[in-house]
Amino acid sequence: MRAAKSAYPLTWRIMDALEAFAAFVWPARFGRAIPWLMLAPALLLVGLLVLGLWQIGDVSLRTLDTSTFLMSEAYTLANYQRAFTESLFAVVAWRSLAGSLIVTVVTLTLAFPYAYVMVRTSSPTTRKLLLIALFLPFFIGQVVRAYGWLIILGNQGMVNEALGLVRIAPIRLLYNYWAVLFGLVQYMLPFAVLMLAPALTAIPEELEAAAGSLGADWARTFRHIVLPLARPGLVGAGLVVMTLSLTDFAMPAILGGGSQDFIANAIYDQFFRTSDQGLGSTLALLLVAAGSMLVGLVFTLFGAGTLAVGRARR
Amino acid sequence: MPAALKGSAIKPKLEGPTVAVSVKSVNMVYDGVHAVRSASFDLETGKFLTILGPSGSGKTTLLRLIAGSQRPTSGEIFINGAAVSAVPPHKRSIGMVFQKLALFPHMTAAENVAFPLKMRRSDARAIPARVERYLDMVRLGGYGTRRVHELSGGQQQRVAIARALVFEPDLLLLDEPLAALDRKLREEMQLEFRRIQRELGVTTINVTHDQREALVVSDEIIVMDRGEIQQKARPSETYRSPSNAFVANFIGVTNFLDAPDGERRAIRAEKIRIAPTRHGLVGADTIVEGIVADAIFEGERVVYEVRVASLGDSLLRVFDHDPSAHSQLEPGSAVYLGWTAGDVLEFKP
Ligand SMILES: Nc1ncnc2c1ncn2[C@@H]1O[C@H](COP(=O)(O)OP(=O)(O)OP(=O)(O)O)[C@@H](O)[C@H]1O
Ligand SMILES: [Mg+2]
Repeated sequence: MRAAKSAYPLTWRIMDALEAFAAFVWPARFGRAIPWLMLAPALLLVGLLVLGLWQIGDVSLRTLDTSTFLMSEAYTLANYQRAFTESLFAVVAWRSLAGSLIVTVVTLTLAFPYAYVMVRTSSPTTRKLLLIALFLPFFIGQVVRAYGWLIILGNQGMVNEALGLVRIAPIRLLYNYWAVLFGLVQYMLPFAVLMLAPALTAIPEELEAAAGSLGADWARTFRHIVLPLARPGLVGAGLVVMTLSLTDFAMPAILGGGSQDFIANAIYDQFFRTSDQGLGSTLALLLVAAGSMLVGLVFTLFGAGTLAVGRARR
Repeated sequence: MPAALKGSAIKPKLEGPTVAVSVKSVNMVYDGVHAVRSASFDLETGKFLTILGPSGSGKTTLLRLIAGSQRPTSGEIFINGAAVSAVPPHKRSIGMVFQKLALFPHMTAAENVAFPLKMRRSDARAIPARVERYLDMVRLGGYGTRRVHELSGGQQQRVAIARALVFEPDLLLLDEPLAALDRKLREEMQLEFRRIQRELGVTTINVTHDQREALVVSDEIIVMDRGEIQQKARPSETYRSPSNAFVANFIGVTNFLDAPDGERRAIRAEKIRIAPTRHGLVGADTIVEGIVADAIFEGERVVYEVRVASLGDSLLRVFDHDPSAHSQLEPGSAVYLGWTAGDVLEFKP
C-alpha cells in the first residue's frame, strides 16, 4: 500500500479530518443557517445600537428639573420644541450642514486629481510618495493634528512669523469658520482619496486611450468617460466625508475655539456642561435623523446601485 | 465612398493608387529591447494589410507607432503625406479597435457608436441615422439600445468595429480584435471584416498571430520576427514563395530537408504524397522510404508523421487530404513519400 500512501499526502489527510470535524459540529443540513451565522456579529452590533437609540429616545422626552437636577417622570415634547425654536440651535445646525456640504465639495475636488495621479502614474516612485504622504497624517490623531494647526496658524504661529518677515501685520487665522472648514478638509482628504482610488483603478486605461482615438480631447475624455465611471466612488467618498464632517467634534472645538460649534459640540455641551441629558438626547436624535435623511436623499438621487450595492450595474 | 467627415485633420483622398501609410526606417528601442528594427514599408490607399508574427515580435509596437500613441526612437511615419507626430491624437483620423475592445460600459451600443461623432462635432441631427446605418452594417440593427454588458462577445466586437468606422477615418487599425473569440465566430468575423472593408474601401492594418486569418482577409501580409520585417507580399505569394526559412516555417506546415551544401531546403506538408507502395507515387521525382510514427485524423485530412532514415532519421509531416482513397495507414507501417523538385523551397543560408 506504499504507492497509495504517497498518492494521498498528509496535508490531505489533515484536511479530511478537519472536514469531518466540521461536519460533526455543523452538519450539512444546518447549511441554510450559515448566512445568518455570518451576519450574527453585525446584527448584534446593530441591535445594541438600536437599544442605545431607544434609551436616548426615552430620555429625549423628559425635561431637566433645574432645582433637583433630575429628569422628569412625565413625557413631554418640550425638548423638541426648544431644539426647533431656539435660534442658537438653528444657527448650529445650519453651520454644520452648510459646513459639511462645503467640506464635501472641496475635499472631493482636491481628492479626485490626487487619486487619479496616484492610480495612473507610470512611475512607481511617484505612487509610493503619494501613498506615504496620504498615510502619514493617518498616524497622527485628529486632536493632535488640530493642535498642530494651532501652532502653525496661531497669532505667533509659523505663518504669521513668515508674514512678519515681509512686514505684514499678523492676521487672525484661527477661531473662525474657515479655519474649521480648512481643518476638516485636511482631515477628510485621505479618506476621500482612499475611497476614490479603487473606483478609479476599476476604470480600464484603454477606455481613455480609446476616447482619445475617437476624437475626445483630455477635458472631454474626463467629462464623458472618467467622471461617469467614477460616480460610484464619488458618491461613496462624498457620503463618508459628509457624514464624518457633519458629526465632527474635534475640529470645531479646537480650531473654532468655542465660537464655531457644530451639532456634536452642542450635544457635548448639553451632556457635560449643563447636564441636560434630555436636550442632549434630543439634539443627538435630530442629528441622526438629519444624517439619515441626507444619505437617503443621495440614494434616491443616485440610486443605491451607484455604491455597487446591487448585483448588476444600473 | 462616403465623403470624409468634417474635422478630420488629414484627408486628401485622391483618385488612383496613392500611398496611405508610409513607414520610413522606423526603430523602437525600449530600454534594452529592440522592439522594432529599421522597419520601412508603404501601404496603398484602400488596402487591407495584416501584420503577422509570433508573440513578442513587435506587432503591437509597430501598430502603436503608426497610431501615434508612441513615438519611434528614430524614423518617421506619414499618413496621407503628413507626419503622424505633427497631429495631436484626438485630431488624427484613425479608427482603432483595441485588443480588449474598450467599449464604454456606461453607454448603450448606439451611444458608443455615436461617441466619435459627438466628439468630432458632426451635425447632431444627422447622428442617429448615421449610427443606425453603421449598426446595420455590422448586422446589429435594432440592438442600439442594449447596454454593452447585454451583448455577446461577438456583438461587442461588432459595436467596436462600428464605433471605429462611423467617423469614416482615413485609416483603420485593428490589434488582434478577434483573438478572444471562438474559432467559428472568429472565422465569420474575418469574412465580415473583409466585406465591410471592401464596402467602405478604408485602408486597414490588422495585427494577428493567426496565419489563417492573415491569409483569408488580407491584400498584403507583413511577416515580422524579433522586430524585423521578414517579408511583405500578397498572401498567395507569401505562401508560395516565402522569402526565408522563418516565413516558410511560420506560415503553413513545412518540413526542412537536410542540405549538405548549407543551403536550406524545405517542402510543405501538403506537397508530399504518401502511399503504401511505390506504384502509388507515379510522377514524383523524389521518393523516400519511411515508417509511420503517428497518424492524426483531423476530419477533412489525416496528418502523418513519418520517420525517414535516409534523411537523417528526421520526422516529416505529411497531409493526406483524401483519406478515403486508401485506408488510413497505421503507425509502424512502412510507407513511401514522394514529391516533385518544383515544390521544394530553397533558401540561402
Ligand atoms: N512598454 C514596453 N516597455 C518595454 N518593453 C516593451 C514594451 N512594450 C513591448 N515591449 C517589448 O517589445 C517587444 C515587442 O512587443 P510587442 O508588444 O510589440 O509584441 P507583439 O508582437 O505585439 O506580441 P504579442 O503577439 O504577444 O502581442 C517584446 O519583447 C516586449 O517585451
Ligand atoms: Mg500584441
